[in-house]
Amino acid sequence: VLNRRCVEAAVMTGLALNCSINKKSLFDRKHYFYADLPAGYQITQQRVPIAVNGSLSYSLCKDNKMSQMVTKTVRIKQIQLEQDSGKSLHDDTRNQTLVDLNRAGVGLMEVVMEPDMCCGEEAAAAVRELQLILQTLGSSQAVMAEGQLRVDANVSVHHPGEPYGVRTEVKNINSIRFLAKAVDYEIQRQIEELENGGTILNETRAFDSKLGCTVPMRDKEGKQDYRFMPEPNLPPLILYDAKSLPANMNHQQVVNIDWINERLPDLPSVKRAKLVERYGILPEHSFALLNEDGLTEFFENVVKQTRMKPKKVIGWILNVLLSYLKQHSLTVKESPVSSVLMADLLNLLEKKEISSTAAKQVLAELWKGEGKTPLEIVKEKKLELIQDQEELEQICQAVIDGQENE
Amino acid sequence: QAVTVEVLDRLEQLALVDFRDAEGVERLRKAVRFAAELQEVNTEGVEPMASVLEDRCLYLREDDVTEGNCTNELLKNAREKVEEYFVAPPGNIPLPKLEERETFLKGS
Repeated sequence: VLNRRCVEAAVMTGLALNCSINKKSLFDRKHYFYADLPAGYQITQQRVPIAVNGSLSYSLCKDNKMSQMVTKTVRIKQIQLEQDSGKSLHDDTRNQTLVDLNRAGVGLMEVVMEPDMCCGEEAAAAVRELQLILQTLGSSQAVMAEGQLRVDANVSVHHPGEPYGVRTEVKNINSIRFLAKAVDYEIQRQIEELENGGTILNETRAFDSKLGCTVPMRDKEGKQDYRFMPEPNLPPLILYDAKSLPANMNHQQVVNIDWINERLPDLPSVKRAKLVERYGILPEHSFALLNEDGLTEFFENVVKQTRMKPKKVIGWILNVLLSYLKQHSLTVKESPVSSVLMADLLNLLEKKEISSTAAKQVLAELWKGEGKTPLEIVKEKKLELIQDQEELEQICQAVIDGQENE
Repeated sequence: QAVTVEVLDRLEQLALVDFRDAEGVERLRKAVRFAAELQEVNTEGVEPMASVLEDRCLYLREDDVTEGNCTNELLKNAREKVEEYFVAPPGNIPLPKLEERETFLKGS
């Protein structure tokens, strides 16, 4: 039985990726034997999937410099609904496989991309953007480490101008970082193989994260014949829009594409543009803000509570706070310094009561999370900027006198 | 397309069926011939029909949990288990090749 939420999520994702939504899509059976597929077949959409012909735009830092960002696009071939299989855990020591069937039969959405990417970095950036989009839509929490987002990379090489080479499929990639590594490794492996006069087999390989390489996967013996056939238990999936809405159908049974389209939240690219426009920050700043969960909210909260200009605040958030968080492997939610404390600190700086250097010292103290306010720390450590002209002259004179005595 | 021994062998491997004897194979050949009669119908301009139920409405269920918590029941089906996992061999055990199999097809 098809779950309505799956259909809605697929439509939302299709719309967000600029796809054409097929108002009529069909289900098929894909037959193969494996311990984690108890029925011996998987229900999927091979003939007519729910969405086709979309695109995904993503940004790359040119030459690793944040200031030079390029926008690239990868075409989306299709999005299809299908069933998940169970989870296999390979126990090589006891020569057995342990199968967990809890997720078998649960709905999956497969996004198929065209081969428009040319290296690990591009693949990683594209998938990262897809991840952010899925999280924004609520289609998936897309955490790769938990298998909520799974990526299989298809890699091939060819000389410019020549047709695409034989591709291999790389599985078992558990993070965005590993995706880039796996793709780059496989590209290198294929180039070396061909340069040594070898050939590339159309095979499935697994990425070994410990060794940083790909290895042939056992069990992909020969060419599989999946004997696709229409799924007899599921009639075609019909989607409606404002024009084709049937008059007397149960609401719960109707999925209205236009209704969903009207309720799409702001996609990451739109959010970034709005941040740039509203706060006058640079595109690469908004990119960095969206890249860290909760950072945008933190930034906006600080801006609300301080007189310091957003263009200056962003520096403190991205260069100082973020690096502290990274150093201590903390998420924004776990930050010992709240947006309130941060705003207080920046206010002291803005009012010129402390210097920039002093502010950094105060932040280091705040990081200890001992509950003191920025003002308390400033007083405690006597970090106030001296405003009194006479006092300053006395100090300078003392230093000069001290020098003369040497 | 002739229903040759190679085709039958491949079918046995793919679908794990067993063409037990000459009668089984002949039944398959008859079925193929019968289905082939469909080729005689002119289907130009006609949309293929997947099933007689294809005009029915596909029922969409609500995203509510309505069953589950039957781990023990399900694990009773396991010949071998480890904690809450079913135990399976490390990979598919492929059907032995035609020469090594006990099958009627060897004789044909």
